[in-house]
Amino acid sequence: MPKIQYVDPAQSRKSGRITFKDIPVNRYDKTIEDEKANFSNEDFLRIYRDMFVIREFETMLNAIKTTSEYNGVGYTHPGPAHLSIGQEAAVVGQAYLLDADDYIFGSHRSHGEILAKGLSAIEKLSDRALLDIMESYFDGKILKVIENNKKYDSVKELALDFLLYGTLAEIFARETGFNKGLGGSMHAFFTPFGIYPNNAIVGGSGDISVGAAIFKKVNSKKGIVIGNIGDASLGCGPVWEGLCLAAMDQYKTLWEGEFRGGLPLIINIMNNQYGMGGQTRGETMGYDMLARIGAGVNPEQMHAERIDGYNPLAVVDAIRRKREILERKEGPVFLDTVTYRFSGHSPSDASSYRTKEEIEAWMEEDSIESFGEELVKAKVTAFSELDGIKANIRELMTRICKLSINDDISPRMDIVKGPDIIADLMFSNERIEKMEDRVCGVLMPKEENPRVKQIKRKVRTGMQDGKPVSKNRVFQFRDALFEAIVDKFYTDPTLIAYGEENRDWGGAFAVYRGLTEALPYHRLFNSPISEGAIVGSAVGYGMCGGRVIAELMYCDFLGRAGDEIFNQLAKWQSMSAGVIKMPVVIRVSVGSKYGAQHSQDWTSLVAHIPGLKVVFPATPYDAKGLMNSALMGTDPVIFFESQRIYDIGEMYREEGVPEGYYEVTIGEPDVKIEGSDLTILTIGATLYRAEEAVRIFKEKHGLSVELIDARSIVPFNYDKVIESVKKTGRIILASDACERGSHLKDMAQTISELAFDYLDAPPVVVGARNWITPAYELEEFFFPQPAWFIDAFHEKIMPLKNHVPKSNFTVNEQLRRNRNGN
Amino acid sequence: MALPVIMPRQGQSVESCIIAKWHKQKGDNVSEGDILFTYETDKATFDEEAQESGVLLEVFFEEGEDVPVLTNVCVIGKEGEDASGFEPGGSAGKPKKEIEAKPSGIQVQSDGGSLSEAVEIINADNGGKAKISPRARNFAHKKGVDYSKANGSGPGGRIIEKDIVTLAKNGYTVTSSAMDEYKASGLSGIEGTGIGGRIRIEDLENREPAGKVYRGEQPGYEDIKLTNIRKVIANAMHHSLSSTAQLTLNSSFDASDIMAYRKKIKASMEKLGLSNITLNDLVLYAVSRTLKAHRNLNAHFLDDTMRVFDRVHLGVAIDTERGLMVPTVFDSDLKSLNGISKEVKLLADQCQKGTINPDALKGGTFTVTNLGALGIESFTPVLNPPQTGILGVNTIVQRVKAVNGDYKYYPAMGLSLTFDHRAVDGAPAARFLKELSFNLENFSVLLAK
Repeated sequence: MPKIQYVDPAQSRKSGRITFKDIPVNRYDKTIEDEKANFSNEDFLRIYRDMFVIREFETMLNAIKTTSEYNGVGYTHPGPAHLSIGQEAAVVGQAYLLDADDYIFGSHRSHGEILAKGLSAIEKLSDRALLDIMESYFDGKILKVIENNKKYDSVKELALDFLLYGTLAEIFARETGFNKGLGGSMHAFFTPFGIYPNNAIVGGSGDISVGAAIFKKVNSKKGIVIGNIGDASLGCGPVWEGLCLAAMDQYKTLWEGEFRGGLPLIINIMNNQYGMGGQTRGETMGYDMLARIGAGVNPEQMHAERIDGYNPLAVVDAIRRKREILERKEGPVFLDTVTYRFSGHSPSDASSYRTKEEIEAWMEEDSIESFGEELVKAKVTAFSELDGIKANIRELMTRICKLSINDDISPRMDIVKGPDIIADLMFSNERIEKMEDRVCGVLMPKEENPRVKQIKRKVRTGMQDGKPVSKNRVFQFRDALFEAIVDKFYTDPTLIAYGEENRDWGGAFAVYRGLTEALPYHRLFNSPISEGAIVGSAVGYGMCGGRVIAELMYCDFLGRAGDEIFNQLAKWQSMSAGVIKMPVVIRVSVGSKYGAQHSQDWTSLVAHIPGLKVVFPATPYDAKGLMNSALMGTDPVIFFESQRIYDIGEMYREEGVPEGYYEVTIGEPDVKIEGSDLTILTIGATLYRAEEAVRIFKEKHGLSVELIDARSIVPFNYDKVIESVKKTGRIILASDACERGSHLKDMAQTISELAFDYLDAPPVVVGARNWITPAYELEEFFFPQPAWFIDAFHEKIMPLKNHVPKSNFTVNEQLRRNRNGN
Repeated sequence: MALPVIMPRQGQSVESCIIAKWHKQKGDNVSEGDILFTYETDKATFDEEAQESGVLLEVFFEEGEDVPVLTNVCVIGKEGEDASGFEPGGSAGKPKKEIEAKPSGIQVQSDGGSLSEAVEIINADNGGKAKISPRARNFAHKKGVDYSKANGSGPGGRIIEKDIVTLAKNGYTVTSSAMDEYKASGLSGIEGTGIGGRIRIEDLENREPAGKVYRGEQPGYEDIKLTNIRKVIANAMHHSLSSTAQLTLNSSFDASDIMAYRKKIKASMEKLGLSNITLNDLVLYAVSRTLKAHRNLNAHFLDDTMRVFDRVHLGVAIDTERGLMVPTVFDSDLKSLNGISKEVKLLADQCQKGTINPDALKGGTFTVTNLGALGIESFTPVLNPPQTGILGVNTIVQRVKAVNGDYKYYPAMGLSLTFDHRAVDGAPAARFLKELSFNLENFSVLLAK
């Protein structure tokens, strides 16, 4: 917390009450006549057309899903299609004023949002800009399909087909889809039109969109961000976390200069009143009216309002008013857009949870039909013209449908011909020194920074004249991280860092000490205790093109950010077919001494998820080099650190840690000590206990041990390890992770396969016991100790003369523990 | 780098070979392709060529020594290199201590080095089922060490690399089967004092020897070690006589016809490009044709089965310096007289030189042995089990017979047929001998068949 803000006991304890402003509910009451001043006839008709395009698009999908046919075109689509028939007014109204600089994020039910936003962007972009986008996207591959199929009179007509085709081909998993078929119905998007990922995880966009808004704000970008999530997602923790992060006081109180003020963000609830089958109002939630929630978030009540999502003009009106609020930097805004879907949750939904009367009543008020009637009534158009629009769209949709299901024109990825197509998309593997080229916002020259000056006086080697350098004088692990990070803050203007206690505290483990002096608030700030939103917003920030370091303090809190790490951070690069980059570093600190919920090494959990790079340095040299690599790359890196060794000096490199810039390549293990009789491969701080074991092996048993530090977990180059095992014939793998399901088991298996003929015994894994982490005083029975290495070697690799083991590595014990599940 | 030369394994069943001759001596320069030494199996002789050039640094075995296959025999390297690391500790090495044990011939030795490394007799149940790490197996293969002899010191008795190192250095200890035999031979009273009750070298030394061993003065006789081939012959002969019911029939026939025939051939041998066909060849030819009608003599007796052969594979006994060898003329019933003659000459030559392919020494269905050149008039050839018959060919003597009331001399050649009475009765055997005699006496008619 910042010292400049005084927590006054008198204020805090003062008697009083909280008052609320009224929250408007469906207050729009204008007629078409009233709106003629704001909309031309063409505008009205375009709104009508856009709604019907969406209606027909989803009618087609519904027909294909339920009857395997649309207008005589037969096709089977086994994948998902969550339809929003009935909700067209809400999405067209929302998109009407938005252009390509405005970003929307969606849900699993967002075909309408994509199309509406795309149609609006096409309307506003110049022909040249549209052509540029279409020609450059996947080298014009999608454009070529459209152009080869038909001659177009105008670029906008062409762009309309491009939008519909790219979306449908994506839904049908075609390589000519907007994301080469890797996203599909629930994740289709097209960033050049400001359409950012939809999300199959309910509420997934609730925190990602906040990160996008932070990106807009921090990097002074044009446009607003709308996070579209469903009414039922208000039951999701990360959505609340997103609201908290979006509404932090500090934007208005602590951020400085042009950066002061609220986020340009609308959290819009597409309130179709059902979460799958659960009625949010009356059954599964308690808010009565959803807009009420805004009142609980901040004094502005998030400018919450319920609007009539069945009237496109009411929605346009609301967005116009709310955008003005955002432009005044008074955001964020919370909108409750009421609507209704006639279609089921999915085509297999029998609507057992609602009556036919209810559906018919809403169909009676169908937004498209009633809007058309109003337009005719207001003499904007005639029914015959509307029928003409409908007929045109049906014909267009039939054409696009045929094109999308044609296997020659719209093939799927040929994984036989290109077995690595998807593999190559898991990481972008680019090197970009700075995500944007402009001046970095800093508060002082780097050389004047007190921490930088302090570090200058430190000894950059762990040993001096054969003796360890004292903690106070030695260049520590935390200094190494600081050096890499501060360097990037002065290089990449988009880099921001946040998390819990990141600013004045200097990070819980003093890595960031000195950064507060160097950086303005908008580049380094404290977040709420919202691990989900910390990572989720970092995902949003990264996918918009910014580099970010988010910190989770303890590894044990990683579970709180489970979805954001496993489903969001890891997947968007590949699900976008490489369109999106994810230059996000998540710092995770592995604890000790603090018991069961603060001392766990969960590297194995993240190593299991495809799409994440995972590193765990154990020396200052490696920490700086790997952080430099992580911050130079464009991939998400889970950066593990250990609280056991923040104060350690460089013990392995005689030259110490270089002052200048260097990188340690992610994925390369390092031989710390050479030997010939046994290889020990460690992950993380276990390195130092293994080193002690190496000494015992040598002194007591005359065995020469090679000690290798994995440094990285994903990716991992086995060459050095295999080379070592070929030499020694024996290997022990060790880390502080619980032994069951540890990634070391995976490594051991790989080594067995790669070096089987060279092994004198199976690779042996020495991990922590499969218990809770006990109190510090009992940790020696839980975490691998130097003696465990000797015992494991004696029992499983080569019996040692006169050795009496203390820990139990026998086969029977192994069986017993497994049998008992511990 | 110095490299060892191992005793090659000539065929799957060969366990050891005898060094017949060293062509190079320790310290000699050798070039790639030079013959290093000649060695023999029980059946054949081979030359080992140098695979690289250098100096013959060390020779671990002398001529006449029986060397287990895949054991280091000598070392080639650069002048001055240390080759001692390759010294095999095997039974034929240079033991510092040796105990002659009972018939099993078990030798136990120690390198006499470190006390803690005293060689232990252990009950390593390794035969074929040894648990061994992949690394140890590969290493054993590379070192040419039979890992089934290793003492598995890894977890659960797994043979690990270290055990192969020890094995290669100290030689192997005692296998379980040898151990059983060893105990059965009367030494079973030994109490082991090693770890886990293992019998150590000291335990053997401290025990009273079972039989008095002559020590000191000249003994007045020479013990000559049996060659492998002698051992094989000895076993085969003993086995034959002890396991079959053999008896011999003797008869003779008038050899005038075959002698005349041979004379004719000899006269036109060169002109017709024929081999120097001997009387024995003629007998072989006649046997190969006659046997076709006497299938029980062209057969193997296999306890509960008679295996009668379609073709005649004639074994031909050859006397060599090393001893008796019996190469086989396969399908002799299909071969011409000239063909049989040529083949027998070739096989005999190979036997004499010791270059005969071991496979040519197997597979006979009937054997012919000839002592005629040595003046033998009749003898009892010893069966070559599981064959059921062997024909001995004797010398020619002049006999008289009554022709038209007159006495006439004729050349009589003796035939001695030994057969296995288990397989064939006396009368059928006699009928074979009679028909053979008839065919030989009317050889030109036989040729026409």
